[in-house]
Amino acid sequence: MAGISWHYVLKFIITGDAAVGKSSLLVRLTDQRFLANPDPTLGVEFGSKLITIPEENKIVKLQCWDTAGTESFRSITRSYYRGAAGCLLVYDVTNRTTFESCRTWLADVREHADPHLTCILVGNKVDLCASEDGDAPRRREVPAEEGERFAQEEGLLFVEASAKSGENVQEAFERAARDILAKIQQGVFGDDRSPGVKTSRPTNNNLTLDQAGSNGRCCT
Amino acid sequence: MEFLSQTYVALRGPTGAPQTALDTISRLSDRLSPSTLLADRRASVLSLKGLARDHKRDVGERAIPGLLEVLQNDAELDADIGKAVLDTLNHLCDTEEGSTEVKELGFKHTDRVLADEKATHKLFALLAADQTFYTRFGALQFLSTLLRNRRQIVQSYFLTAVAGPAGIIAVLEDRREIIRNEAITMLQSLISQSPEIQKVLTFEGAFERLFNIITTEGGIDGGIVVQDALLCVDGLLRFNASNQSYFRETPMAVVLLSLLQFPPNLPTHEPAPQQFALQFWDTQKGQNAGLVIGIIGMLVATKGANSGDLSPFTRCLLEMALASNAPSTLKTQSLRLLPINQSLPLSDILVTTYIPVPETNGEEWDRLEPTTALDALVELILNGEYSGLHSTRRDKEALELRATAAGVFESFVGQNDIRLLILQAMIPSEDGSAPPPVTPLLQFLATPPTSPLNPASVVSTQLAAILFAHLLRNSFRAKTLARSIKPPGAGFDAGQGSFFVPADGQAPAPPQPSEDEDDSPQTLIQLLNEHLSLALLSRSHASSSDREAREWDRLVTAYLTLLSQWLWEDSKAVREFLDAGGLGILVEPVNQTSESDVLVPGLCALLLGICYEFNREPGEVTRATIHPILNRLGIDALMGRITRLREDERLKAVSPESTVLPYPTSPHSQPGLKPETTGEAEVWFDWPFVDFLKSNYYTIQRGIRADPNSLSSSAGQTPETEILVASLKEMMRNQSQEIESLQSKLKTVLTEKEQERKALEVQISQLTSDIQAANEKRQDVEKEQEDLLVLLDELSSKRRRDKDRLREAGLEVSEDEGDEDEGEDE
Ligand SMILES: Nc1nc2c(ncn2[C@@H]2O[C@H](COP(=O)(O)OP(=O)(O)OP(=O)(O)O)[C@@H](O)[C@H]2O)c(=O)[nH]1
Ligand SMILES: [Mg+2]
Repeated sequence: MAGISWHYVLKFIITGDAAVGKSSLLVRLTDQRFLANPDPTLGVEFGSKLITIPEENKIVKLQCWDTAGTESFRSITRSYYRGAAGCLLVYDVTNRTTFESCRTWLADVREHADPHLTCILVGNKVDLCASEDGDAPRRREVPAEEGERFAQEEGLLFVEASAKSGENVQEAFERAARDILAKIQQGVFGDDRSPGVKTSRPTNNNLTLDQAGSNGRCCT
Repeated sequence: MEFLSQTYVALRGPTGAPQTALDTISRLSDRLSPSTLLADRRASVLSLKGLARDHKRDVGERAIPGLLEVLQNDAELDADIGKAVLDTLNHLCDTEEGSTEVKELGFKHTDRVLADEKATHKLFALLAADQTFYTRFGALQFLSTLLRNRRQIVQSYFLTAVAGPAGIIAVLEDRREIIRNEAITMLQSLISQSPEIQKVLTFEGAFERLFNIITTEGGIDGGIVVQDALLCVDGLLRFNASNQSYFRETPMAVVLLSLLQFPPNLPTHEPAPQQFALQFWDTQKGQNAGLVIGIIGMLVATKGANSGDLSPFTRCLLEMALASNAPSTLKTQSLRLLPINQSLPLSDILVTTYIPVPETNGEEWDRLEPTTALDALVELILNGEYSGLHSTRRDKEALELRATAAGVFESFVGQNDIRLLILQAMIPSEDGSAPPPVTPLLQFLATPPTSPLNPASVVSTQLAAILFAHLLRNSFRAKTLARSIKPPGAGFDAGQGSFFVPADGQAPAPPQPSEDEDDSPQTLIQLLNEHLSLALLSRSHASSSDREAREWDRLVTAYLTLLSQWLWEDSKAVREFLDAGGLGILVEPVNQTSESDVLVPGLCALLLGICYEFNREPGEVTRATIHPILNRLGIDALMGRITRLREDERLKAVSPESTVLPYPTSPHSQPGLKPETTGEAEVWFDWPFVDFLKSNYYTIQRGIRADPNSLSSSAGQTPETEILVASLKEMMRNQSQEIESLQSKLKTVLTEKEQERKALEVQISQLTSDIQAANEKRQDVEKEQEDLLVLLDELSSKRRRDKDRLREAGLEVSEDEGDEDEGEDE
């Protein structure tokens, strides 16, 4: 149990259209695996990962809530926006519609989330466009430049990634985490002002529960 | 005062004539509309609140829309009207009190309130936004009522309520105890069976709030609030894998251990601290701790194949069960939740146990020498808690604990070769130098029963027989080993107090175990044979009381069930049993006919059948000897005995989960029997025996019908082939285990290979692109070379031209070798 040591806990949500690979990105991050046939997410699933940001010399615990892309879960998944510090907005580079939906998703996030939320736009499944790959190469429908431009216009970070190959997956989370840490440093998230950021101090409080517990009897 | 008079008018009617309640209610309801003054509305709500007590139907019918409107518009602005409207609505929807009709009304009103989501959303918004005591309190109570009546609808509205999660967190953080407690009560039903709500609240930090409450309320020493909060924690986690993986990694998982005073970082070789092992327990604390243990058990169970180290959670359960002064029920619960697998080092880990110093009322304790957890487990099973200090306890909790521990023992020895190691340790060494120590388990089997019976040792012997059967069941190798066990000096240093003493001079002659002609100690089968015979005789003479007879019956049952499972498929053991006079012992009780007595004759018939079926070794008593005896007893009578045994309540009531039965089970057989203490219980059979009987009784019945010359009905086998088959069976079991482990190894190797292949693929593609790059480079170079050649060509033609010109100018020019070709190039 000594392993619980981190400087920050950051809450992330992962949104975007159905089947763009949100769960796959999370599974790649937490388990270094790729599932060819994952079940569509019902509601929300949780996953977490400790990452180190070397420049800052900080260990960060990412708590990720992977939401369902299916319309019918919208009202449920919305409840998660408010408390998040970071958001991965995912589309599928081989499916233009999923990119176009990003505008709606973003509006939704903006409406419900903390204004300081860091959002990174992730164009997933780039492995499919690597033309050398023999098996049925799919057409890229969203050029990287277009994603980049949209991200710039909207003030989002941007990366193209593949849950299948693992390319840029950890990077996507790390870039977002770095951005949040920078915001913390600038004092944007004052001590626990955002529900999505927790510094290690409250945990220490939690750990002192041990002692509180053992002394409990004499205090009562 | 304007409103007073207006309300008065409403109550009295404009004409001043007395009116019916219905009229009044209608008028008051009309005054709820937003067009009236706030004060007026407030007065109307208050009046309706009063009227609702006696006129629930009418008020409900007329006023609900207006009341909902007031809730929507006024509750937040005006605390008084807020309280009144919430109380009134709550009362209208209540289904707890009153006649069935009134309750029906409550459901009807609830449905009207829940016709759309507005009211529910408003209630959550009130929780989030309004600090006023009565508003929060009223909203919580009303929500509880709605949830009780129509939980799923409220839950679906919650998920669409913008302020829902925040509202819940706000009330969980409320400093006012009453609000917080009410919130916890409401939360329990809100999260019930809704994984979505459980997850949303987890995201919002409900766990953190709940643990805050739990610790500030004094942990498990706290009261009912702690219990409710723990119930919420349990509710958020159970059946919710996503929340479990969230929770597992938070510091709160460790706080669970701290709540029980168990240090999370305790090194394996260090004993658990006293403040964990010895605590003051009361009912509430027991309940709180039970919930904590339940949650720990859930985390341990879903941990998956993450074996290896003993996790602090597993260790905590183990210590709680074996080395603490927690109430028996908590120990039982801990044992049930203990994951029995390879990583549970029962025989390696040491535990330090305590026993209470007599007469100190549980305030002083003696610490005992550390023992292995396995020894402590066996000790608990055989002697009960606190090294036998509680061995006379016959209440359900005490027996349940010991029976559950026996189940843990069964699962533990069921793995691999552990049982063989345990048996091996009971056998004298080859050179006969050092006699093996008499283990407590062996001792209880080897010690002859005393008369009058010591009730504590009956239970101990029963459980010892059950444990020993766990060691032998279905293992030819184990049975072979067990046959060479010879408990040294059995029965004479057993330390169980009085030896067999005739109760009243007319008791049967006691056996003389140590005065055998030859000095060699007896085998276990011989000893069991003698004890059985002794117990059967004593039983027939136990005229003193029904109670005493029943004790003897249980003892006889213990011996018979063990022997049945041992002799099954083990013809050498059958031989030994028959040679020791077993046949004579069994025939007598089978022949007795008594309506009340089903068990013992049935079990004797069963064992007789097993002896006949598996009597395949040459010897004095052959199948041909037994056959006429079976005939004399009557084949049908024997069948009947076995059938009636199967139908006995004491057998039928046993299930994998329950071994302990209330005393006396199937009471009609002995109407005089009454429990001596409240909650007295008894054990007859364990599930593995019942299972054994159910799977094999048919074979036994068929065997009884068979001709003495017929081959074994199992498959017409000679003793040799039978042994062969048994050992082959075992080999197959082992091999299939091996195959399994090889398969899993193969799988890992395959995945490794797969990864390697992938790595190679990556490398190949890397190399391919390298080659491509190299090719391109080469092409570039070639092109360059070509260009150079062209250039060279141009140069040489230029040179030729120059030479020609020089020649024309009459200057001397050196001859080029290639001059002949010149013409062609031009
Ligand atoms: N080739 C390729 N396929 C991917 C990648 N990521 C996901 N997929 C596939 O895309 C499909 C959908 O993936 P999911 O991770 O379930 O998508 P999701 O966004 O979580 O979907 P919902 O939970 O329904 O919202 C699956 O068949 C994945 O195997 C990727 O990077 N490359
Ligand atoms: Mg998904």
